[in-house]
Amino acid sequence: MRDKNIKKSLLLNIDLCVGCFACEVACKQEHNLPVGIRWIKVVKVGPKKVSGKLFMHFVPVHCRHCGKPPCLGVCPVGAISKRSDGVVLFNEELCIGCKMCMEACPFGALQYNPEKEVAEACNLCVGRVDKGLEPICVQNCPTGALRFGDTTDYVLQKQKRGVKNFIEHDEFIKEKEV
Amino acid sequence: MKSMTANDRIVRTMCDLCHCECGVLVHVQDGKVIKIEGDPNCPINEGHLCPKGLAAIQLLYHPDRIRYPLKRKGERGEGKWQRISWDEALDTVVIKFREVIEKYGPESVTYSWGDAAYRNSRFTKDALLFTLNAPTHLHSDAHYCFHPVLIANRLTFGHLLTSEGSPDYRNSKCIMLWGGNPVMTHPTQGRDIILGKTNGAKLVVIDPRFTEIASKADIFLQVRPGTDDALALGMLNVIINEGLYDKEFVEKWCIGFDQLKERVQAYPPQWVSKITWLAEEEIIRTARLFATSKPAATHTRMGVCMSTNTIQTVRAISILAAICGNLDIKGGNLIPNRPAGFKTRAEIVWKELTLPPELENKKVGAHEFPLLCSSESLGGNFCHPPSVIHAMMTGKPYPIKALWVLNDLLVCLEGAKETKEALGNVDFIAGSDFFMTSTMELCDIILPPCTYLEREEVVDSICTNNVIGARQKVIQPLDETRDEKEIDLEIVRRMGLKLPPHWQTLKDFNEYRVKGMGITFEDLKEKGYIGGPVSYKKYEGTGFPTPSGKVELYSSILEKYGYDPLPYYQENPETPVSTPKLAKEYPLILITGGRHVVYYHSLGRQIPWLREIMPDPNLEIHPETAERLGIKNGDWVWIEAPRGRGRIKMRAELTESVHPEVVHAPSHWWFPEVKESHHGAWESNINAIMSNDPPYDPICGATPLRGNLCRVYKADER
Repeated sequence: MRDKNIKKSLLLNIDLCVGCFACEVACKQEHNLPVGIRWIKVVKVGPKKVSGKLFMHFVPVHCRHCGKPPCLGVCPVGAISKRSDGVVLFNEELCIGCKMCMEACPFGALQYNPEKEVAEACNLCVGRVDKGLEPICVQNCPTGALRFGDTTDYVLQKQKRGVKNFIEHDEFIKEKEV
Repeated sequence: MKSMTANDRIVRTMCDLCHCECGVLVHVQDGKVIKIEGDPNCPINEGHLCPKGLAAIQLLYHPDRIRYPLKRKGERGEGKWQRISWDEALDTVVIKFREVIEKYGPESVTYSWGDAAYRNSRFTKDALLFTLNAPTHLHSDAHYCFHPVLIANRLTFGHLLTSEGSPDYRNSKCIMLWGGNPVMTHPTQGRDIILGKTNGAKLVVIDPRFTEIASKADIFLQVRPGTDDALALGMLNVIINEGLYDKEFVEKWCIGFDQLKERVQAYPPQWVSKITWLAEEEIIRTARLFATSKPAATHTRMGVCMSTNTIQTVRAISILAAICGNLDIKGGNLIPNRPAGFKTRAEIVWKELTLPPELENKKVGAHEFPLLCSSESLGGNFCHPPSVIHAMMTGKPYPIKALWVLNDLLVCLEGAKETKEALGNVDFIAGSDFFMTSTMELCDIILPPCTYLEREEVVDSICTNNVIGARQKVIQPLDETRDEKEIDLEIVRRMGLKLPPHWQTLKDFNEYRVKGMGITFEDLKEKGYIGGPVSYKKYEGTGFPTPSGKVELYSSILEKYGYDPLPYYQENPETPVSTPKLAKEYPLILITGGRHVVYYHSLGRQIPWLREIMPDPNLEIHPETAERLGIKNGDWVWIEAPRGRGRIKMRAELTESVHPEVVHAPSHWWFPEVKESHHGAWESNINAIMSNDPPYDPICGATPLRGNLCRVYKADER
């Protein structure tokens, strides 16, 4: 059983996401989702020419399991809950399908299941996570763009990387000047 | 998901829904496959799977899968079928094949090799032709795709080195990917490129499209379609004239450097810049980066294999890899090294299932393209596909009257209208496919194959050049579907023909492939995967398997056959440069065939989880061009080809991924949900407006599918 006080979440390294859709279909299979329901969805941004150079990024959109989930706040029947480890869960028995949560979600990550007439979202593969496994999207991400971990640690790593890049860049400029 | 019970099991096997052939763990509950996941112990995919592999359950249990042998009741294409027994189906095939052989000779029987389910039946299908003494093997993409790379590489180094499996991305300092997007076509290779980049490699992507992998590139060269030959020659010019090549390697291991040096003087970067639409300094910068980064890995893909100068283009790129000293070094392009004693695909097909020269030289196209088709072929035992279609239509050089078709030829082969006409002249057509496609509708008998989950075989994936593995039967074939290989052997038996003595059964065959390794097929199943040893500079002991034993910058084989022994640039036949008048009426350059990861050629459009991700055939068009034409994102548009080739509809995707003068149309589109017998094969199938007529590449017979002219205008809804 994992320590529920450690708040792990899905982390994205956008430099590594190649838009391969493996996370989407892995999620479909794991949770047996019908067509139209995508708990994780890869959104393409661009391509766009900026200063003569083309840019394109891929962002997997999914429930962020927010600290203060706006969906939870607006649910009129208390169908949305937050576990002590931070995972936001949807109770399909209680849900009345009013879609208030979908409107409240700033990421557009929540899905409406027309067959069950309920709202759904990524549950961070709690069944797997409680067994010590990673969420299925993370297991299937070929480049390591999606990871499962502690956001604080991740941010610290990013800070270090950013500083390193900054210094290297600075040296690069100096070298050019010489 | 229910909890595990005593009847539950997890079977390790290997996916076959694309060339990667990833290791998978298949969860079975009460005899039913309930989950497929990547095998973390498989060196090919290391636990990951792509969408196709992850959605394989929906293929296995698809309600539209053909599960029984069928016999056509009405006219061809009328869509009326009758379920028959396997005995009746097989006996009909045998009787009809015999009839055709008696009347026209064995060369009038052919099969059209497809892919996916059928790649591993290559041996048994070839064995069938071999026992029939029939040289006519129609492999529908023999003249482009992989075989031009094989031919060009073998001309140059004797080995296949710039295709999947060879570039050692993870250890490279510079990865040069030319005309390909492995993220979409070979996901494991896409992953390795990203890992190589994470390890510090610079990534150079050369493509007319700004693809997924291009978005990660350090240098992206948006080359004008079909001018890759000029670009490669321009880079050679820079590298040779600036002395950036590996002098020691060239001195010791290459022949023809002086002639090459002279040749590339005709291609200064300033001139190449005008031809390719690339800035001169970009060409120079890329050449310098590639030459001075060591090791560098080079990968050529289909983007450079569909022009009338395909072989010389791939030759020029191969020469770049060679003279910069990147052959068979860590992080460069590695010489294949399967486990010692293992019988490779090429070994069996080329050494054991090749007919005597007088028969091999009867292949359709052997005279025109001897390096593709004849007894001296460097590319495999194939005919020239467009020439086979023409032979079906005209009876020349001989009639082809019986066909066993394993792919959707109308969707997969350029010149769909001619292909349909050609099939109309074939007396008997047997078909094998998972689903009722436009081509299956034209068959007389259908023999339903099973998926990879229902059969077993030895696997040597082309996405790794040293690992082999075992495909294990996870469940019994559904209903009356059968292992394709078993069907082949049964037909051989019923025709009273003799198989090679050492493999009378599939079991024999599996054993035969691994016997030289001192193991049994059971041992391989037990182990899962076996890799050959990693070693470098293997050529130092053996030389290169070319006539001179060296890398032939100046090709002695091309010289012998009367081709230019050195690479050159040649404009495609239908471009704004070669046909400026036509370009006034058809102002856009049409490139075709970019893939999406959810589909494998024509397979997958009926799989719900996959179709959801890419529901429509999207024509990539630049927003400025679209605006000028009054086209909005998502509009259905006509794409019309010149010279009466007709028009098809696709959905406009406004994107800056293409140059304003270029549009890109994906290939292989059909609509399984269209129930009429053509299944939408004439609506959005780009091959319906592509020609299979000459001019061809003079060496391999490739047709120019990436860089023709077209015009685009708004259509009504689909």
